[in-house]
Amino acid sequence: MRTTARRVLLGAALGTAPFRGYVAAQGREAIVERERAAHRGWLMTGHNSPYAVLVQRHIGPGLTLGPATADLPLEGVGATRLSERDGVPYLRADGRESPLPRFRMYPLGSFRLFIAGPPGRSSVTLYGPGPRNPKPPVWYEYDPRMSLEVTLAPPTQPGSRRMLAADGLEVVATDAGTVSVSLGAQPATLTVLRVPDPAGEESELEIFFRDPTNEGSTYPAGRFVSLEPLGGARYRLDFNRARNPFCAYSTAFACPLPWRGNALPVAIEAGEKYGGGGLTPP
Amino acid sequence: MKRSPRAGLLLFLAPLVVASRPPLAAQVDDLSGPWRAAVDQAGGPLRFALELRSAGSGWSGTLCNGPACDDLSAITPMGDSVRFEMADYDATITAVGRGDSLIGYYRNVGNRGPRVMPFRAARGRWPVAPAGPALQGSWDAVFDQGGRRSPRVFLIRNGPAGMEAAYHTNSGGYGLFWGSATPSDSFDLGRFDGAFVYRLTGRLDGDTLRGVFHAGLRTQTPWVAVRSTGRPHLTPPFEVTSADTSRPFEFAFPDLQGRTVTHRDSRFAGKVVLVDIFGSWCPTCHFAAPALRALYRDYRDRGFAIVGLAYEVSGDTAIDNRQVRRFRDKYGITWPILLAGINETAATAATLPQLQGFTAYPTSVFLGRDGRVRAVHAGFLGPEAGPLYDAQIRELRGVLEELLAEP
Repeated sequence: MRTTARRVLLGAALGTAPFRGYVAAQGREAIVERERAAHRGWLMTGHNSPYAVLVQRHIGPGLTLGPATADLPLEGVGATRLSERDGVPYLRADGRESPLPRFRMYPLGSFRLFIAGPPGRSSVTLYGPGPRNPKPPVWYEYDPRMSLEVTLAPPTQPGSRRMLAADGLEVVATDAGTVSVSLGAQPATLTVLRVPDPAGEESELEIFFRDPTNEGSTYPAGRFVSLEPLGGARYRLDFNRARNPFCAYSTAFACPLPWRGNALPVAIEAGEKYGGGGLTPP
Repeated sequence: MKRSPRAGLLLFLAPLVVASRPPLAAQVDDLSGPWRAAVDQAGGPLRFALELRSAGSGWSGTLCNGPACDDLSAITPMGDSVRFEMADYDATITAVGRGDSLIGYYRNVGNRGPRVMPFRAARGRWPVAPAGPALQGSWDAVFDQGGRRSPRVFLIRNGPAGMEAAYHTNSGGYGLFWGSATPSDSFDLGRFDGAFVYRLTGRLDGDTLRGVFHAGLRTQTPWVAVRSTGRPHLTPPFEVTSADTSRPFEFAFPDLQGRTVTHRDSRFAGKVVLVDIFGSWCPTCHFAAPALRALYRDYRDRGFAIVGLAYEVSGDTAIDNRQVRRFRDKYGITWPILLAGINETAATAATLPQLQGFTAYPTSVFLGRDGRVRAVHAGFLGPEAGPLYDAQIRELRGVLEELLAEP
């Protein structure tokens, strides 16, 4: 591929290994590669890697944790109950009850709890000590033709919807509009939602899309890709950055429902592939 | 030391020129001095400063948002690269030297995965221009987060190093924002400390300020602000209103040496105790620590004690312990700090049974001499809040004076 050839040429001109990182820092491809490297490192070793997650559950009317007969049996943990009242999660053990912070790891024996989701409908994500049998993610080779500039058309009327983010946790996303994509013969229109990170000030303009590769080499439920602001209504839509929902890594995660209409007729041979895991029974 | 003629100029987006570069050693030797640095958000550069010094065989340094500086926890050369660590927030900047510039990336890990942003720095200091009188003062802002509206307050003024602003949300202060006014009453302010990656840009439009809040790599939130009317614009952080006051406040957690410390410890007997619920990951807790230390200094001889309850995030006891020690040493804390999040069994997991919900870090729980909860203060405004900070400190001192006066 042309871009690869250019990189090799520059690498040869520089001669030294550490500078390759710098050469890479200049190009679009390198930005994507760096994002991939960070993602790979996090999946394989991160303390909050999706591969460290044992289970994700709605707290609902309450969950028991600990003994073998509990909803969530946890070795070495005594009888504990997790519940939610007035939007505040509580942990009860040994006759004592304590409120839990949201969006923070909370250690319980050798496990960790992470409470998220809208108050009153909270979920608990249960983490083990670290990634368990992590699978390195795989991607298509970077393809510059899959990096598009698009115009975001605002929604006809404001709206919001409850949905699952890529991490399987419920958020309220707002309608951000649509983008038109021309790849191949027929143009397609994709819905864009602003998906908040409820733990902080950040959000992403996300597109959850499906395409013909879902039948073979990419995750069957579809993939996420976020828009990058270029100024005004212009955005970069780089399918090389398409990534799997966490349910592709592990059955511990709930899978977002594919968004109505976001099916591209053209195979998007770019971005993250599916290496098995989420749909394969353990 | 070799300096290229363009020293002090930023040629960030210049195409790669590989014709020549100084030897690696020269670049490494050149690190000390002031650097103007930036991380690139989608909406433009978020500016801050690095001040690097040689220290022994290596370097030390600080990361500054105007006059608000924090020590870098480590500076590690790696070949022609250098890594800056902001260990409090598990964040790093890795950069390679090119002439008199550093180019690389900033990285930390959030709940949904890693965040990587371009970083660059050149020698010298960012030019700054002060804010005109029309910009200065207190502004009540409304953020429009895709249809969801939420309040903020900005206190805009000129500081010793340029234009600055205190930035307040419902859950407390976000630290000092620093930057520069630009022509025709526009401004560009930022806050970068390894955890917060925030930039506030705006301009005056008649009596109204309009702008964009840039968060992280790609988030851009439009906002509109009018001059504060004096009516409260923010809702105070969710406060612990229903603490169980019928019996002494109970806790039992390991300290940093692994010894269990309880509310019955002789260090607390008959004293007024401030239970400081905090986490080393929480920037606001970093703003609060020096203020708590001042309270401790002023009141400890009159029967005042503090106990810190640390809620850490890694879930790894060794890492949590290290992070809390770092926090303790950074602020010269001499009161006991307990690892509240660390539990060997579920029986001790019910950590604070008498608090009916807390969401703000830090939260200060004041116990009277009888050990019962008497007051709770949630969230904290940093010194950048000026008069509001002073009022907050007066309030805390008032509570202490009142409780210490009791028999």
